[in-house]
Amino acid sequence: MTEPDYFESKRFPTTDGEIAVINLESARQRSWSRFFFDPLRNGLAEIVVEHEQLTAQFVGDVSALDRLQFLSGQLAETNKPTARTLLVQAQIASMGHRFAEARDFIAQAELAEAPPADMNRLRLNIDQACGVELDRVLDQRRDLANKSGRTEDFVALGALLADMRDFAGADRTYKEALTIYQDVSPFPVAWVCFQLGVLWGELVRDPQANRAMLWYQRAVDCLPGYTKARVHLAELHSSAGRMSDAEALLTPAVSSGDPEVHWRLADVMSCKGRFADAEVLMRAARLGFESLLGRHLLAFADHGAEFYAGSGNDSCRALDLAYINFANRPTRRAFEQAHAIAVRAGNVDAAATLQVEATQRWSADAVFHSSPLKGRSETLEKGETAS
Amino acid sequence: MSDHIDGPRVIGDPAADLTDLFAFTSPENPGRTVLAANVFPTCGPNAIFSNVINHSIVVRRAKVVGFGDAAKFETDDREIRFSFRFGLLDRTTADQKPIQRGTCTLPGGQTLDFVVNDKNGASTQDGVFRVYAGLRSDPFLLAWIVGKFTKFQNLLQNDNVLCMAVEFDTQRVLDPGKGSLFAAIAETVPVSGPGAFVGFDPPRIDWVGRPEQTNMLLNDPGLPGIDDLRDLWNQQTPFAIPEALRPVFIKRIADSLANWDIRDGKQDWTPAALAAHANVRFDDYLLFDVAKSITDTSHLEIEKSTLDGHGYETGGGRTVDCNVIDILLTMWVNHDREPIHGGASTPTKLSTKTFPYFADPNTELQSVVQSIDLNGAPDAVWSLIGKFGGYWHPLIANIKIIGAGIGELRVVETVDGKQIIERLEAMDDANRSYRYSNISGIPASDYTGTLAVKANGTGSSVEWRAQYLANGQGDLIVRTIISTLFKTGLDSLKPRFGAPQ
Repeated sequence: MTEPDYFESKRFPTTDGEIAVINLESARQRSWSRFFFDPLRNGLAEIVVEHEQLTAQFVGDVSALDRLQFLSGQLAETNKPTARTLLVQAQIASMGHRFAEARDFIAQAELAEAPPADMNRLRLNIDQACGVELDRVLDQRRDLANKSGRTEDFVALGALLADMRDFAGADRTYKEALTIYQDVSPFPVAWVCFQLGVLWGELVRDPQANRAMLWYQRAVDCLPGYTKARVHLAELHSSAGRMSDAEALLTPAVSSGDPEVHWRLADVMSCKGRFADAEVLMRAARLGFESLLGRHLLAFADHGAEFYAGSGNDSCRALDLAYINFANRPTRRAFEQAHAIAVRAGNVDAAATLQVEATQRWSADAVFHSSPLKGRSETLEKGETAS
Repeated sequence: MSDHIDGPRVIGDPAADLTDLFAFTSPENPGRTVLAANVFPTCGPNAIFSNVINHSIVVRRAKVVGFGDAAKFETDDREIRFSFRFGLLDRTTADQKPIQRGTCTLPGGQTLDFVVNDKNGASTQDGVFRVYAGLRSDPFLLAWIVGKFTKFQNLLQNDNVLCMAVEFDTQRVLDPGKGSLFAAIAETVPVSGPGAFVGFDPPRIDWVGRPEQTNMLLNDPGLPGIDDLRDLWNQQTPFAIPEALRPVFIKRIADSLANWDIRDGKQDWTPAALAAHANVRFDDYLLFDVAKSITDTSHLEIEKSTLDGHGYETGGGRTVDCNVIDILLTMWVNHDREPIHGGASTPTKLSTKTFPYFADPNTELQSVVQSIDLNGAPDAVWSLIGKFGGYWHPLIANIKIIGAGIGELRVVETVDGKQIIERLEAMDDANRSYRYSNISGIPASDYTGTLAVKANGTGSSVEWRAQYLANGQGDLIVRTIISTLFKTGLDSLKPRFGAPQ
């Protein structure tokens, strides 16, 4: 089914995005109160994690990770470690991209006889995030999605297929996630739309901006407070020279505290000749990124690298962060990012080393030959000037 | 937990999750009946209804068609339906405070508009119907760790729910002369129509008849390793569950009832009685008889008497204060041999005697205020304590600031190793005050603190104030933590600035 088919097909509404966010915030606050009232009670910490995860993902509230870190500390202090608390701690570590720490918690949980299905689900997420044995992960993801029939399992499968450059498969899977969705919460729907926007706007070799915009716009329509979708949509508007549209999208998201909003809005202000505003915003962006990197380095290393490689204008810092990111999770995308930054910085040695390492890792992999990493290496090998 | 969080699917949008259904005689007027349904378990103080769900309470006339081991009830096909729909937030009010409006469609199609959280509700002109919808204290009492069958404090202490209540003239609406026994269910069904783009006809999200059909019978925690049948059950049409699914559900209900029966080590139910009980539970609706007395203890008496082979004596139903878990466990575990009581006897708040009969929500703001008079000039005092990340408090071992300006976070490590994270909300250097919120570390919600220094003669007066939402038993802990923190901090200023004698 094509996008127009989707938009014209019979439609069923999801809860208004503003109401859903108010209810999420309401439930999030209450879940903390319940946790504090009885920290040992089964399930309460898990509910806090679920609410904070939704808040971080869909509201762009970057302090959610701070609160989760606090929760992890509380669990460590309050309880003798149990399989349950160790899994919660593993999940929190994984959300902060502290994958080695997460694996350690899971290993401890295994000793404490945690349910295998819960451990496997977490391990699968980590393996996928780190690009480990993706063929095995793919088999398991397919199995999970087919057995559960749950939207979130199809989204995870779609994301993996996109990572593995099966873009048609990813597109099909994301749309299946929408088709099987039977509920009224707007969060999963907005999530799938966002993923489809990223797929067609950023991941495919020849990005299709209009197609991506359609999906990002759907995500924002579903959930007006979806900061990440606003940022990505604004980028496309900016690229097409529609600065006012980009500004209108970004301005309401400033209150989220996400430094990427400050960054993109600063770029828009620069293009509009409002340099004083741009400077203030860029300073806020830099402070924001440094603050986040100080607290959650691994979680924001790739975003920080993008920022410093772009308007943040510090290619050394960008490359450092890109190295940190791919040392933590050596995925092809992390290599591509580091390589692109090295090329842009004119760091031929770093680019060549990355190219060699990437070739060693993935030369046997057919999809590697369509990787921008390989393409860019060849460009450099041909002696084109890096800028 | 009655029908709270009764399946993976309802967790997606908790505002669609039905918690409980009630049917009772109006405490204000015995000639009127009240039906009520609650959604959104453990919601916070700002919760609002979903705008894309049809919330219905449906009543059918019922009759007893079998007694004893052949116990059975049947219902009419004709429905008396009350449907609640809610709109988007309306920000056009004079004070710009958003409100939500709703409409109740009454039997016969008449509609009644109301404003959510308006305690007076709305009435039809002839006074036959009155409706209310809004945030209320959750009246449910769960003083058990059900899976382990051990007594506990009320696990829903201080919880709120979103409540929908309709009160009506019993004679005019139910016409009990044609039969006074009724069966009720509540359901949440997504509204179909244009507006979004999920290409799937969404089935019912949740429904509830008798309490604990899902969480304690279809997903009995005492039966490890079973498939979770709750979503499958929730998606069936009430009063019309397909015969093809009957064996699956009956078996699960019977297995669960057998499991509950032996939780105390004794078998009180004969196999035939237990099978009859499972059959009665399969026909899941809340039975109430408007010609008889409905009290806090009459819940399930209609079913019990019918299973025991004789006519019922009360109106059954379910009142707001009915302790359903104790009634259920006494029936299931003991076959009513002797009462079983949980670890608490009352919910957070009991019902009220006036409409809408569900108690006010647990949202009272609590305050802690400490102040001190000092000899030091206001500016001097402010220069020490007026920085959000200032390091002056004796109970603080370390303080770290993240970010700058409004929104910055201070991460405080206390001398006893606790961590408190607070966010700067407002800074007014000219008037020497700042306001902050607690992100984590203080066990309260909606916590706002204010620190202010004012001139007081030749010296100054420092006031430190906090407001937060009460959390029952936890409130004492919160109050002690905050009071200690404030008092110790303010007392530490005396040696620096001196204090009036």
